[in-house]
Amino acid sequence: MLYNITNLIEQSAVRYPEKDAFKCLDDSISYKALDSKADQLASYLLDKGLIRGDRVAIFMNRCLDTAVAFYGILKSGGAFVAIDPFLPLERILIILNDCGIEHIVTTPAQTRKIKLITQKAPFLKSIVGLSENLDVKTVSWEAIFSRTLDDYSPARILEHDLASILYTSGSTGMPKGIMHSHHSLLSLAKLEADLHNLDNSDIIGNFAPLHFDQSLFGYLSGPLVGATTVIFPDSYVKLPASLSALVAKENITIWFSVPLILIQVLLHGHIEKHDFSALRWIRFGGEVFPVKQLRQLMLKWPHAKFINSYGPSELARCTYYILEKPPETDDPIPLGTVWNNTEFKILDTDDQPVNNGEPGELVIRTATMMIGYWNRKELTEKSFFKIEMAPGYDHIYYRTGDLVYENEQKELMFLGRIDRQVKLRGYRIELDDIEAILLKNELITEAAVIVVKKDLEIRELEAVVCLADGAKINADDVIDFCKLFLPSYMVPQNITIMHKFPRTGTGKIDRNKIIELLETQTL
Amino acid sequence: MNEKIITYIKDELSIEFIESIDMDEDLLGNGIVDSLGMMKLVVFLENEFQVTINPEDMTVENFNSVRSISTYLSKPQI
Repeated sequence: MLYNITNLIEQSAVRYPEKDAFKCLDDSISYKALDSKADQLASYLLDKGLIRGDRVAIFMNRCLDTAVAFYGILKSGGAFVAIDPFLPLERILIILNDCGIEHIVTTPAQTRKIKLITQKAPFLKSIVGLSENLDVKTVSWEAIFSRTLDDYSPARILEHDLASILYTSGSTGMPKGIMHSHHSLLSLAKLEADLHNLDNSDIIGNFAPLHFDQSLFGYLSGPLVGATTVIFPDSYVKLPASLSALVAKENITIWFSVPLILIQVLLHGHIEKHDFSALRWIRFGGEVFPVKQLRQLMLKWPHAKFINSYGPSELARCTYYILEKPPETDDPIPLGTVWNNTEFKILDTDDQPVNNGEPGELVIRTATMMIGYWNRKELTEKSFFKIEMAPGYDHIYYRTGDLVYENEQKELMFLGRIDRQVKLRGYRIELDDIEAILLKNELITEAAVIVVKKDLEIRELEAVVCLADGAKINADDVIDFCKLFLPSYMVPQNITIMHKFPRTGTGKIDRNKIIELLETQTL
Repeated sequence: MNEKIITYIKDELSIEFIESIDMDEDLLGNGIVDSLGMMKLVVFLENEFQVTINPEDMTVENFNSVRSISTYLSKPQI
């Protein structure tokens, strides 16, 4: 019976023992090997005193062992916290502290960064995956994989147990951790497999890193049906000529990524040179796909079905829209309709359902709903919209913060945000988060971060700051300061120093005026 | 050439402060350069060494490390 996500590989290890579960370049691992290696990692963590629900970090670049880390941590009863190894040290430490990490699972390629982390994280008890000895206990992958499982008894895992915490930009300068249970992730695995009629002949292209929840499709739905998931290393994802050659070579049948990667492949991937006939589905999500480029790509790959996928990480995914043919106009692509096991409402500012076709905030009730934000009870409560069906029995919806309306075809259309969250190159960014970091610098008295349109396609983050009297810092210093605390995609591309901010009538910073000044370069 | 490339990556592109870059270090995989940085690197190489880099040549083989970049740039341009 399937009720937690470790059952996924256990089931496939019985049904398809020798089949490739995951592949990465020349490396591959069968379902049987993955299941037993995950057991070996779990047995080590349990020996080290891990208790069900303990958080364990995955600190890895994209490689085959991410699959072992993912399932090994879960099998131990732990919850995995995938950390972007490209984050600055300060932000990594905040996350480790916030959710009380004691064990990190990593790879030798991350040795340099792990050394820096261990110097500043005395609470760590062990590092898995390093061959080199550090002050903290380390154990190599070779040692893990030579463990015998004689004394190992698998953890008892219930479906509502914590499975993962995913950190995302928070609006206060502190990232917030989205908690998912085995139940919500298993629901996601089933819904996505169903959406694509996935079966064991499929080969899934996994372009997202583990700390980005698009990757859950390959890591969960693949094992559910016994398909093979191909993990694309970082260098391939960033170099479209190599990426497109590898997609063709691996005979990928299902592609799921942010639009940016597809656009790069369209523009620089030399599509004509390769055979993409195996592709059945092209699925994109995370941000809006510019229609012109989407049309071009659909004309190049007429045999594939294209699908827009939408959903905040708090519930992974919730709507989809299948494009039957290349769009004829440049009108935005709908978010579509909610998938199975999911319902929605569109609310006005008084939390009342809007009239047909009127805009409002989208709220979603679904099986893939998060448990809440780790350690943020109030924020969790604020993010839910509850309807009391009877005393003690609520229907709980997640407030997406996305402004939508329903068109005549009953499809949801995206209009924008009700707050200051933006999506840039697929990354979810709270502008307030960046401002909060800027204001941590004592020499900066005021800060406004905005998105500036450079041309039709390029949007960049820029910051305008006011300095304290006598402060002797320049724009580069401010950028360097940001780099200490923020992931690179959140560091403003440009800093403008102003003496005084334009204000609205009520004395608030006039951000629209600042955008206007920056776009017309009149500052 | 190697020194110039390393200095540029260290000073302008690296996501955070690093002391040294190994000739064979995986620039993208180890998180020294991100995808925006890769675009800037191409512009830098074209200007600094008076070459034109064909998008077709922007592959893992040619751009994975400082050594592979300099090997690529040393090849006669077609």
